[in-house]
Amino acid sequence: MFHHKKPSTMNSQDRPMCVQGDSGLVLTTDPKPRLRWTVELHERFVDAVTQLGGPDKATPKTIMRVMGVKGLTLYHLKSHLQKFRLGKQPHKEFNDHAIKDASALELQRNTASSSGLMSRGVNDGNVHITDAIRMQMEVQRRLHEQLEVQRHLQLRIEAQGKYMQTILEKACQTLAGENMASGNYKGLGSQGIPDMGGMKEFGSPMNYPSLQDLNIYGGDQLDLQHNMDRATLEGFMPNSDNVCLGKKRPNPYNGSGKSPLVWSDDLRLQELGNAASSCLGSQEDPFKGEQIQIAPTNLDRGPEMDSISDIYEAKPVLQGDPMGEKKYEASSAKLERPSPRRAPLQSDKINSVMMNVSGAMPQGRNLQYG
Amino acid sequence: MAMAIDETPTVDIDFSASYNTTATTTTTTTTTTEDDLGCCNWNDWSPVVDLDALSGDRDDFQNLFESMMDENVPNPDRAVENYNSPGSNEAMMMMIDEANGGDDFKGLRLVHLLMAAAEALTGANKSRDLARVILVRLKELVSPTDGSNMERLAAYFTDALHGLLEGGGGGAGNHIHGKHMLGNGPHHLNHRDDHHQTDVLAAFQLLQDMSPYVKFGHFTANQAILEAVSHDRRVHIVDYDIMEGIQWASLMQALVSRKDGPPAPHLRITALSRGGSGRRPIGTVLETGRRLVAFAASIGLPFSFHQCRLDSDETFRPSTLKLVRGEALVMNCMLHLPHFSYRAPNSVASFLSGGKTLNPRTVTLVEEESGHAGNGGFMGRFMDSLHHYSALYDSLEAGFPVQSRARALVEKVFLGPRIAGSLARIYRARPEEEEAGSWVMWLAGAGFRPAGISFANHCQAKLLLGLFHDGYKVEELASNRLVLGWKSRRLLSASIWSSDIDV
Repeated sequence: MFHHKKPSTMNSQDRPMCVQGDSGLVLTTDPKPRLRWTVELHERFVDAVTQLGGPDKATPKTIMRVMGVKGLTLYHLKSHLQKFRLGKQPHKEFNDHAIKDASALELQRNTASSSGLMSRGVNDGNVHITDAIRMQMEVQRRLHEQLEVQRHLQLRIEAQGKYMQTILEKACQTLAGENMASGNYKGLGSQGIPDMGGMKEFGSPMNYPSLQDLNIYGGDQLDLQHNMDRATLEGFMPNSDNVCLGKKRPNPYNGSGKSPLVWSDDLRLQELGNAASSCLGSQEDPFKGEQIQIAPTNLDRGPEMDSISDIYEAKPVLQGDPMGEKKYEASSAKLERPSPRRAPLQSDKINSVMMNVSGAMPQGRNLQYG
Repeated sequence: MAMAIDETPTVDIDFSASYNTTATTTTTTTTTTEDDLGCCNWNDWSPVVDLDALSGDRDDFQNLFESMMDENVPNPDRAVENYNSPGSNEAMMMMIDEANGGDDFKGLRLVHLLMAAAEALTGANKSRDLARVILVRLKELVSPTDGSNMERLAAYFTDALHGLLEGGGGGAGNHIHGKHMLGNGPHHLNHRDDHHQTDVLAAFQLLQDMSPYVKFGHFTANQAILEAVSHDRRVHIVDYDIMEGIQWASLMQALVSRKDGPPAPHLRITALSRGGSGRRPIGTVLETGRRLVAFAASIGLPFSFHQCRLDSDETFRPSTLKLVRGEALVMNCMLHLPHFSYRAPNSVASFLSGGKTLNPRTVTLVEEESGHAGNGGFMGRFMDSLHHYSALYDSLEAGFPVQSRARALVEKVFLGPRIAGSLARIYRARPEEEEAGSWVMWLAGAGFRPAGISFANHCQAKLLLGLFHDGYKVEELASNRLVLGWKSRRLLSASIWSSDIDV
């Protein structure tokens, strides 16, 4: 049942040099000595496992005791046992350790039950051998399918993660713009994803880009704490002003290659300029057709949206033909411009910002896009 | 039980006098007033609310509650036994056990207080003043950000109850949260987006990372869709509530990389959009559409996006949909995911029944799995709700015990408003107008055919859960239904259907 082919190549040519310790274990001589599962060792392992009732029942501890090999640690046994349970050769690796664990249990359950079937089948005579073989094939098919599912799951999770990133990026850019418009300069650079800091701590199994440590909540959220004071559960205030966290500079997209949120001071001014100019630019006719195309805002409120939606519906931009996609590309540069309409509450602030920064010129809005 | 709650906020009881009278009358009239409930023999439940002691002025209350909080409170099990609603004893004990490892007693007290407040609000002997006092006491004990799960949960429930008390339905929502529409029909309360967008985004990302709910719903539906359209060249998905469109990212990826059938089919998504109210803070349907277009382009999937307007009362009319010959039609209905807004039953029903007339290949439905809805009236459903959210809180904590602030954010942004909205709806539901027990039953009754959950789908769900804490369980409750649960509490149900006629 378990294809434990003998660990295939024990040639020292394609492996690092091995030495045999006095306990009989073969260790490599690379900087971190690793245990080599030789044929004999593996056979002893399998014997021990069978003695203990199969890979299902055997535990590293009991195996260790039964094998009685000096120098063999629980760690060695744990990993070898897991691989054994999966029925793979020791030198192959899975990408996602966590998924492997989960699937390991599944596979082992399946194979354990099938090995039961197998033994029965063989014992009952020839007629049953074909049945047994069929069952074996069925089980193998299932195993294979499970591995496929596992692989697909990984890909799907990654796809979702990528998509989430696009949301976050866009939102942050818009917010950075809005925040400037609202005159909130505190820790502007980190305004991008102030609360995203929360996510790093989890050792997320999804391998999302790691974000800053949740400590961000601690130091700077005193206002937030206030608001959550139980005595005043009402009067929660939108904490747009509170989330500027000066402490750490988030670098949320470590691994992703693009870091739209690594704001430099220059960029901040650019943003400021952009926001200001867009405010200036479209202030007069917020609902004119041309302007609409520019600014799909994230924070539209109320009745404004209807007019925008109507206009968008009329345009074929989103109908998805290649034309549409190109249009998207072309207009993407404009998409991020924060709309002044977004914040009717803050129009006064916008005005004041405009007064202040009317000098700042928006160079390459394109800077936003890396 | 009189669920015809007077919405007019008149305080009808003279405080001191009423309790003298009720104290004597309740013991005799319990059966007549409460029997239709089959539960809540509140008046036997003296250890917590000793109505006889309620005579006179507030000081007595103070003493009463001090005594409740006191270590000398008699055996709470006795109180629990007296509460007869089905399954509630075990449910409550379990809830308490789950909530606080070491602090069972306090957790239990909080639950008792909540129950007392709820009862005071809606029971036969309802008294708003009593409720108010209990809620004040509760507020002193709990905080939405500190303390154990039970304490934080109690804080939100307290606030929700407070909202019911003050606002005659859904007041709490005003204060805390912005995304919800409470109730149905003309009782919409449109809240400003009190949550800053970063909060919502952060909370959503956290929710996704910390729990499998969102992914479970999405992936199960997607897998079923993939299987159903595996040989089609054109696929059309009508999404009831697309939100940010996150569900579709993984479907797109899977479509592009599928091995059997025509590769890279053309995908069309029509998202239903709603009129004026309930603005989502993160973006509009069109925003989502743009994102999806970009994403599809990035992976090379032929894609187009459409928006379809719902009527002003959020009814779906199939005629407003653009259909193309030869495309495989899928109706996707995600409800009640933690970050979703409430959708009125009429709207959902119109979507599903309207969809049926279009003969879809597949209908995917994800909804909250509620306990026995229906029976028990307000109290029963209140307890059910308490149990449900307690399991939810616990599931988050179990996986991430240290990151309490992160969890507090998720609770604040998503769970808290749901609690408030949910209670408001329960409060205002009239007995004959039951919140649709479950859409699964509705679909079955409306003539949809259950489609099977494949081995691969079930396997995927198990693998997914394996990435999270092992307290999550997936059960295959029917051939077409997977239910995600935490420990023994079922939380989310994903089911697959097709229309009766074979296409």
